Amino acid sequence: MLFGRQQKNPIKLPDKEVVEWKYTTCGYCSTGCSIEVGLNAAGKGVSCRGVGDAPVNQGKLCIKGIFEYELFDTSNRGTVPLMRKKPYELYEQTSWDQALNKSASEITRIQEKYGRDSFAIVSTGQLLTEEFYTLGKLARGVIGTNNYDGNTTLCMASAVSGYKRSFGSDGPPGCYDDFEDTECLLAFGSNLPEQHPIIYWRLRQALEKRKFPIIVVDPRVTMFAQMADMHLPITPGTDVVLLNSLAHVILKEGLEDRAYIEANTTGFDDFLAVVEQYDPVTASRICGIDEDTIRNVARLYAKAGSAMSIWTMGINQSTHGSDGVVGINSLNLITGNIGRPGGTSLSITGQCNAMGTREWSSCSGLPGYRLLEREGDRNHIADYWGIDADFFPKKRGLAQTDIFPAIETGQIKGLWLVATNPMTSMPNTARIRKTLEKLECLIVQDAYADVETTEYAHIYLPAALWAEKEGVFTNTERRVNLVRNVTEPPGDAKPDLWIFNQMAKRFADTGRNKIEFPETAEQVFEQLRELSKGRMLDYSGIDYATLEKQRGVQWPCTEGAETGTARLYSDGKYQYPDGKAKLIPLPFVDNNERPDEEYPFWLNSGRVVEHFHTRTRTGKVGNQNKFSPTPYMEMNPDAAHELGIEHMSYARLISRRGDAVVLVQLTHRVSPNQVFIPFHFHECVNRLTLGLLDPHSRQPAFKQNSVRIEAVADQVAAAATNRAARSF
Amino acid sequence: MFKVRDNEPDYAFIPDVKASKCSQHGTPIQLVDEKSSELAGKSLNINGDDGVGENPNRYKQHGFHFTADNCIACHACEAACSEKNDLPAHISFRSVGYVEGGSYPAYRRVNISMACNHCEDPVCLKGCPTRAYTKFAEYGAVLQDPDICFGCGYCTWVCPYNAPQLDLVKGQVSKCNMCVDRLEVGLKPACASACLGGALDFGIIETTPENRDQAKLDIPGFPTPEITHPNIRFQQTRSLPNEMGRADTMPLRYVRDDKASGHYRPTVGSATSEDGAVEKRQWNLKKLSSRENPLVFFTLISQAVIGAFLMLFLGPLFGFETLSYAQHPVVYTALLFALLAVEGGALGMSTLHLGKPHRFYRAFNNLRYSPVSREVASLGLFYGLLGAYAVTTLGLFNWLPDFLVATLMDVSGWLAVLVGPLALYAMHKIYRIKARPFWNHWQVLTSFYGNMLTLGALTIALVYAPVLIVQGESIQPLMSVLVWPILLGLLMECAGLFAHARYLVCRGDEAAASHLLQRTQFGNTYRARNVGLAAGLLAAVVCVSIGADGGAGLFAWLLVAAIIVTTALVGRALFYVLVIPTTMPGAFFWRNAGFQEHARESGLAEMPQAGVLPHEHYQKEALDRAAKELREDFATIKAQGFGVSLRRLKENVMAVAKSCFA
Repeated sequence: MLFGRQQKNPIKLPDKEVVEWKYTTCGYCSTGCSIEVGLNAAGKGVSCRGVGDAPVNQGKLCIKGIFEYELFDTSNRGTVPLMRKKPYELYEQTSWDQALNKSASEITRIQEKYGRDSFAIVSTGQLLTEEFYTLGKLARGVIGTNNYDGNTTLCMASAVSGYKRSFGSDGPPGCYDDFEDTECLLAFGSNLPEQHPIIYWRLRQALEKRKFPIIVVDPRVTMFAQMADMHLPITPGTDVVLLNSLAHVILKEGLEDRAYIEANTTGFDDFLAVVEQYDPVTASRICGIDEDTIRNVARLYAKAGSAMSIWTMGINQSTHGSDGVVGINSLNLITGNIGRPGGTSLSITGQCNAMGTREWSSCSGLPGYRLLEREGDRNHIADYWGIDADFFPKKRGLAQTDIFPAIETGQIKGLWLVATNPMTSMPNTARIRKTLEKLECLIVQDAYADVETTEYAHIYLPAALWAEKEGVFTNTERRVNLVRNVTEPPGDAKPDLWIFNQMAKRFADTGRNKIEFPETAEQVFEQLRELSKGRMLDYSGIDYATLEKQRGVQWPCTEGAETGTARLYSDGKYQYPDGKAKLIPLPFVDNNERPDEEYPFWLNSGRVVEHFHTRTRTGKVGNQNKFSPTPYMEMNPDAAHELGIEHMSYARLISRRGDAVVLVQLTHRVSPNQVFIPFHFHECVNRLTLGLLDPHSRQPAFKQNSVRIEAVADQVAAAATNRAARSF
Repeated sequence: MFKVRDNEPDYAFIPDVKASKCSQHGTPIQLVDEKSSELAGKSLNINGDDGVGENPNRYKQHGFHFTADNCIACHACEAACSEKNDLPAHISFRSVGYVEGGSYPAYRRVNISMACNHCEDPVCLKGCPTRAYTKFAEYGAVLQDPDICFGCGYCTWVCPYNAPQLDLVKGQVSKCNMCVDRLEVGLKPACASACLGGALDFGIIETTPENRDQAKLDIPGFPTPEITHPNIRFQQTRSLPNEMGRADTMPLRYVRDDKASGHYRPTVGSATSEDGAVEKRQWNLKKLSSRENPLVFFTLISQAVIGAFLMLFLGPLFGFETLSYAQHPVVYTALLFALLAVEGGALGMSTLHLGKPHRFYRAFNNLRYSPVSREVASLGLFYGLLGAYAVTTLGLFNWLPDFLVATLMDVSGWLAVLVGPLALYAMHKIYRIKARPFWNHWQVLTSFYGNMLTLGALTIALVYAPVLIVQGESIQPLMSVLVWPILLGLLMECAGLFAHARYLVCRGDEAAASHLLQRTQFGNTYRARNVGLAAGLLAAVVCVSIGADGGAGLFAWLLVAAIIVTTALVGRALFYVLVIPTTMPGAFFWRNAGFQEHARESGLAEMPQAGVLPHEHYQKEALDRAAKELREDFATIKAQGFGVSLRRLKENVMAVAKSCFA
């Protein structure tokens, strides 16, 4: 049957004429997918595909990875350094020499005038590990400011803090392969299908082979909640209560792993004393999950041969973020579910190299999970760098979220932002604007010249992105993977490693510490191997060639080992000096900005699959951006009807911080007293958020805020307001 | 051949499983006999590669399998498709939309990923006037050749799944190609290989993938498979709320019908507004203007011209001497040439609706199946006959024997009388599309014939009445005859519309949704059109009964004509803007007509990455493209020589002619 014509015409299909595929690792989230970028004869990246035999993604990619090659061609890349005297003046193009000299002299001037810590550095989770290490060396060893942190405070700080409190060290103990063995999966505030589609696919693969219960705790009916066997629509900000109550039932009914608790943990009695107060009846009144469900989940989890918990921002971004992580860890400790196949506490990380910055950037301490607070660690690093150990502060300085208030009140006068965009990502945009305009010197180092923060910058340094440079990322399951240099950065944009090294040279003859800064990423990686030898995060068995061959290696990987290690703590030995994990009691105090008469709605925020963070990249790729080219709010139709708000119309939201207009999508995905807005968009949800800080991790509670909502009479004006905020 | 990687994962390969004999629609799955058929064993000639694929099931109908329970709307399938086919943001061969229902937290959303279903009965192929479509014996793939397409977009009208994509920037349609290059080496299409939710799969039709049990023909939100017998099968086992709504602005929801074994029936009204039916009545006159504007004028003018000719030719034969050549030879001939000129203009204008107006002649390529080809051919024939008839009235052929001239005149005239109404019938068939229930009603025919009578008579009156007044004669006898076709035409239009409205309500589905639109968004306009019809009718009756005559009478009749013509224009514009296709549900932004309109109005569409083309002003591009391509054509003709070009042309014409009878 050849239907339609008598003879076959030749078929023409689009052909991108790829002549070479180059190996690299995805630069968006922390799943850590191995990607091949297809280059045409002109050496231009024109295609992407998942590496077929990569252990993480096994040939798959999500929408962001599929179009990642388009980043090389996105609009408004920075191609030349820019400078100006005052933020209200126009930028002028300048040379790298002048921009770096000016940056260094401004840093020196501010530090000399106001003190060493008056100049702050805020970096990111987007750089390569070698770059993080180099920036840390520059910040801690040469510039010597203690106000140095990463934007990971906005995403993973609570996980870091929780791991440290429970296990004595950061480091996610589990891996994706745990899906293959687990008999029960409990997910807190994680929407895998939309936020980490490849990890979800791994879970799906496991479920195709063998069915096991999935329980999702989330106030919103996310795609994951719908796919789950049980959905627990929890009251925002009360996860700790649920966790206490789950532990309560397990201990009350004798379902705990008594032997594991006795052998491997401390603090049980204090833990028990607090947990006893959270019987399911009491807990159900607070967290909104009925007592039967609490008991059912507790029994299911404790009786499973192995059970695992995963979580993301639903836990981390709250005033009880660190506590929530500790609670999850304790649940797994009392059931003996750490370090065994299918039993783990696995934080699903956000940025491609959030793990790398945690491990090596010195933001919260010193490289290789070392602490400023430990004399031995200070001495070791000072020796290795060849500087005086007394140069290091004996206590960590301010976290990112404390640096901004310190600028606001004048303790900090200068700031260097590297690949982060607080104008969109931080809570309370109005306050951030007010803060940034007080800086005597703001250096913005970013791949994009139109990143919103440049509005307040004095110096802009154009950086290379992703595979325009070389180095390694670490993913959620501690897998170190290689980013190969696939193509050159546009114009005069430079790899961040080059920028840090050049900046270091500017300080070399100013009487500051003299430290060696290796030129190439691979030389830097050698230092990581040396510094990690014999430690928990042992890199000594890893080199670039092995990484490409094995498509990533999970640390620890000791020298001479064939490959890495799937799980931590399998031997029950933790990183506290006594080798035991801590069970920490978590009394719950509700300090959330709860809805009241004046502001009757919970405001929640989160991701959508097609965008990444503040859209500086994804907002410029049409085939991603088109799925949500403008912000929107999910609102319950019943609530909207009472307020006279219609589907596809603009509504105005008012919080104690400010207001925002947003396009309304009516859906029963959210409860009548909650609304949800994606966090990716400039001048939208973060005009409203409060972001109370977690006492341990200093992470803001993005997801628990209260707002009032009004119908907008002048829809045309509202649309114009929204349009004006969308420069991309 | 497509290069298979050494480390290609297993899931990317199409399983070689045993196929059933027939599809659920009773069609054989083996498309041709691979040993005996002359179609077998041939290369697909993909991008100049003459290799023959070694897929063991090359001649079996393939199709998609979609597990609706599992789709997570991650867009990986759409992305993989757009990446492979290098598509700009405003085009997509595959799209994910959804329906949702229930109330918090017992809420369910069903995502549906949809591209071309490579149907057993490809209505796109039949509808395409240029024969750009082919259904291949290889995999049963329905492929379209953008180089042949001239951008009329008719395939996008007839397809129930929104599979063919009209790119206004390029002026041509393109669509899913089943990734036949991948199939040739045994790989699933890019979309199915990219699926992350365990939802989209691909294989020989009626085979269920591993771990799947069902191969259902539809799920809620999917248009009825009866129209085209699409090659997609579904699994949907998880129970759903009784009512599922759409996130786009199409006023449709899907209601469970337990009588029809839980099938979900499309029903009017949106789930998100409390009661869609009580929305305000609006005018929205600006929105009457659409991409189909050329067609509004083209159809009305053609109907008027055919009507006028019928009356001019038949009138005198039935004793209506005023219209005879003998009484007003100059006016008669002038009117004929005016009709010719106006219709010529209308035909020319209709090509502006094409993405490639200079390729208009390809409209004749598919006389065998396409109503568009038949319409263009019959209208072209009518035009030729009208021209022949007009020329014979010029008296240029007096040197020929009288009987020959008379015969020529009679034959061309009578043939035009026959072909004209047939052309309108063919024109109406264009709109009888199952995927567009608003159009698929006999009202289209009464409207077209009604306008033929009314506008035809008015055209005659417009010419003859002033002539009579100038000559100092009464227009009363003329109008008392012409008023009958006017009234009859208006009554036909009224009767058709009345039945149409009842049909829309009874049908439910997209038809009722169109009806909701015409009573709400265009409510006032719709009413005004109806009032206009009645007013035209009444005014004509009044004018003829009071015997309106002289200058005042002419003025009165002009007023009547103004009412009728305005009403006809508004009515025809409504006809085009109100149609709601039976397409898949959209998402909140992508494939949401309401958002696209908002993006254009608010300026969001000015950002190319919004994926919405700004206001449609692509006619200039189309003309520029035409100029460029015609220059290239001339260059080719010059290069290969006139004789060769003529031979090629002859071959092509013969091929088209052959296809009509094949």
